[in-house]
Amino acid sequence: MIWAALGLVALIAIALRAVGVEQMPALQNVYLVPVLWAALTRGTLGGVLAGLVAGLVQSLSIFPFIELVGLSWPALGGLLALSTPLTLGLTVGRLVDRDRGRGAQLDALLSIQRSLADSALLTERLATVAELTRSALEVDRVRLVLETGHDASVAASAPQSYRPAERVPSAGATPCRRLVLGLDAGQGPVGALIIERDGDLPTATRGLADALALHLSLALENARLTERQRHFAQELEEKIAGATRRLRELDQAKNEFLSIASHELRTPLTALQGFSELLLTRDVPPERARRYLGHLHTESQRLGRIVGDLLDLSRIESGRGPTLERVSVDLGAMIEANVEIFASQHPRHQFEWKGRKLPALCADRDAVDRMLKNLLSNAIKYSPRGGRVRVEAGPAADKPEMVEFTVEDDGVGIPAEALPRIFDAYVRIANPETAAAPGLGLGLSLVRGLAHAHGGSVEVESLPGKGSRFRVLLPR
Amino acid sequence: MNLLIHRLDAERTTNPSAIGGQLLLVAAIAAAVGGLGLALDSATSVRRGLGHACASGAAHGCFLAVGWLLAFQGRAGWWGPALRESVALIVASVAARLSPAGAVAYLLVPLVVARDAAFWPERLDRIGWRWPRERRATLVGAASGAFLGLHLLFAASLMLGYHVEVPNPRRYLAAVAYDVGANALTVEWLFRGVIFSMLWRRWSFWPAAVVSTGLSLLRYLLDPALPQTAELIAGAMFYMLLLGLGSCALRAWSGSLLPGYLATVTFFAAYRILLV
Repeated sequence: MIWAALGLVALIAIALRAVGVEQMPALQNVYLVPVLWAALTRGTLGGVLAGLVAGLVQSLSIFPFIELVGLSWPALGGLLALSTPLTLGLTVGRLVDRDRGRGAQLDALLSIQRSLADSALLTERLATVAELTRSALEVDRVRLVLETGHDASVAASAPQSYRPAERVPSAGATPCRRLVLGLDAGQGPVGALIIERDGDLPTATRGLADALALHLSLALENARLTERQRHFAQELEEKIAGATRRLRELDQAKNEFLSIASHELRTPLTALQGFSELLLTRDVPPERARRYLGHLHTESQRLGRIVGDLLDLSRIESGRGPTLERVSVDLGAMIEANVEIFASQHPRHQFEWKGRKLPALCADRDAVDRMLKNLLSNAIKYSPRGGRVRVEAGPAADKPEMVEFTVEDDGVGIPAEALPRIFDAYVRIANPETAAAPGLGLGLSLVRGLAHAHGGSVEVESLPGKGSRFRVLLPR
Repeated sequence: MNLLIHRLDAERTTNPSAIGGQLLLVAAIAAAVGGLGLALDSATSVRRGLGHACASGAAHGCFLAVGWLLAFQGRAGWWGPALRESVALIVASVAARLSPAGAVAYLLVPLVVARDAAFWPERLDRIGWRWPRERRATLVGAASGAFLGLHLLFAASLMLGYHVEVPNPRRYLAAVAYDVGANALTVEWLFRGVIFSMLWRRWSFWPAAVVSTGLSLLRYLLDPALPQTAELIAGAMFYMLLLGLGSCALRAWSGSLLPGYLATVTFFAAYRILLV
C-alpha cells in the first residue's frame, strides 16, 4: 500500500510538471491525497514516509522558487506547504494508530474475558490469554504468571516454549526490551505480566500494556474467584453426596440391624421360652430335664453375650470405654484353648496355631478373649467353604513395645472399597456366599474398641477371593 | 528482585576508562600517520598528493579501528583486524592517488573487512554485520538512496544551475570505488553499526538515531573534501541528515547494515555525477 501511495506521489509530481502548474499553491494540496491514503491504511509509518516523499518532491519546485524570489511571504507559504504533507501524515497516522490500538485493546479485552469465562482449566485458559495479549500488544513474547493462592503459581507463555531468562537477552542485531507488570486488582497481587519485544517498546504499547494489565488482573481475579467457587461447589457436592451415601448406608444398616438383632435375640429367647415351658408344664424325666437345663444355660449365655456386646459397644461409642481389669495374661494358653474349642466345633476348618517367644501381656483377660473369639468367629463365618485358619502371636517386629496376634483365613475376602468401613458398627459387607451367616455387624467394631481401650490397634489386609488377615497390636 | 539487582544495560563495559585510553591511542596513531602524510606532502621529493592520500586512508582506518574497538568493548582481539584494514585503506588511497585505476584497490577493503568479520560472527551480529532479515530490505535501501540521489540531482540542477551530465568515466568510477570501499563502508560500520547499535540498546530508537546521525554529520562537516560554500554545506547536511536517519531506520528494520550501506553508496553514486 505504501508503494502505491509513493507511486501516486510520483505520478502527481510528473503530471503537475508536465502541465507546468507545479508552483501553483492550490495544486500543492493534491499531494495530500496519497499521504492521507498511506496514513489511513498504514498508520504513522505510512503517513510519515508518504509525507516525507511528498515534501521532498514538492521541494523540487518550491526551492527554485524561493531562490528566485527570496524569503518573501509567498516563499514562506511554499516552505509551509512543504511541511504540510509530513505533518498531516504524522498526525493522521498517529490518530489512526491510536484508534487501531484502542480497537485492538477492546477486541483483546473482550476475547480475554471470553476465554477466561470458558469452562476449560485455568492453565489452558491462561495459554489462550497469553496469545491474545501477545497479538493485542504486538509484542514478540508474553508470559503470564498467576498466583493461585494455595500451591505453586500457574504460568503460560506465548509462544509456548518461551521462558524469560534472568537477564534480558542482549545478543542479536536487534535489542530486546522487556516490561514486567504486576497484576493487582486492588486486593493484593494476582500475578505478573512479562512482555518482550525485539526493537523498541513504543510508549503506546507500554500504555496499552498498562491498561491491559489492569483489565487482565480484574479478569483473572474474577476467573480465580469463579474457579474457587466452582471448586467449592464441587467439594460441597461431593461432601453432600458422601453424606447422603453414608446416611443411606446407616439407614440400611439400621434396618438390617433391627432385622438381625430381632432374629438374634429371638432365637435364644424362643429356646428359653420353649424349654422353660416344657419344664413347667410337663413331667420331664430328670435326665432329660438336666439336658433341657443345659440348653437353657447355653442360650441364656448366648443372650447374655449379645447383650454384653451391645452394652460394650454402646459404652465405647459414647466415649466412656469398657472397664478394663489389667492382669498378666498368658496369651499363648488363651489362643491354644480358643483354637481347641473352635476346632472341635468347626471340623471343616483346619486350624493352625503358631506362637513365637510370647512375652507377658498385661491386659484385660476377658477383653482379649472376646477379641480373639470375635476374630476366630469371623474367620469361620467368612470362609463358608472351609479352609485353613492360621493364628499367630508374638512380639511385633515393627513395634518392639507391642505384642501382636493375627488371625488369617482363606475366606471370601473384603473388597478394597469396603475396607475403611469394616470396623464401623453395624456394618456387614454384602457377599452372596456369607449372606446367611448370623451376626449384628458388631464384632470388628468391638475388637477395635477394645484394642483402642488398651492403647493398641487393629489392622486388616484382605484380597477378595483370597482371604483376610487381621492383626491386633496390644501394648505389653 | 532480579530486576532491581541486575544492571539494566548488561553490555555496558565494567571499565570505561580502559576503552577511553585505547580510543585515545587509536586517535593518536591516526593523527600521527595523517600528520606524517601531510608532512611528506610538503616535501618536494615526494609526488604531490600522496601524503594527503595517506592521511585520508589513516582517517578512514581510524573509523574502522574505533568501530572494532567499541564492538569488542576494549577486549583483546580488535587491533589485528583494525590494523589490517587501516593498512588496506592507506594502500588503496595511495593507489587511487597514483592512478584512477588504482582506486580498484578500494574494492578490496570490504573483502578484507568481511574476511576479518567472519572470525567473530556473534560479536559482529550485534552491530548488524549480517544479512538482512528480509530480502526486500536491500531493495528498499538501494531505492531510498537512489531517490535521495535523484532528488539531489534535480534540486542541484534546478536551483544551483549544475549540469547533470555523465562525467569522466574513469574518475567517476574511481570516486564510486572510494565510496564503496572507504566512505560508505566506514560511515556505516562506525556510525550505524557500532554507535547506533550501542546507543539503541541503551536508549530507544530516536535518541540513538539522532546522536549517531549527528556524529556522522560532524564527520562530513570536518571532511576537507566537502565544498566550502554555504549552500553546498547546507544541502550536504540536509541530505546527510535524511540519509543518516534513513540508514538508522533501515538498520533497525532489517537488523543489517547492508540496506543502509547500499543507500549510502547509491546516493553517493548520484552525488559524484555532480562533484567529479
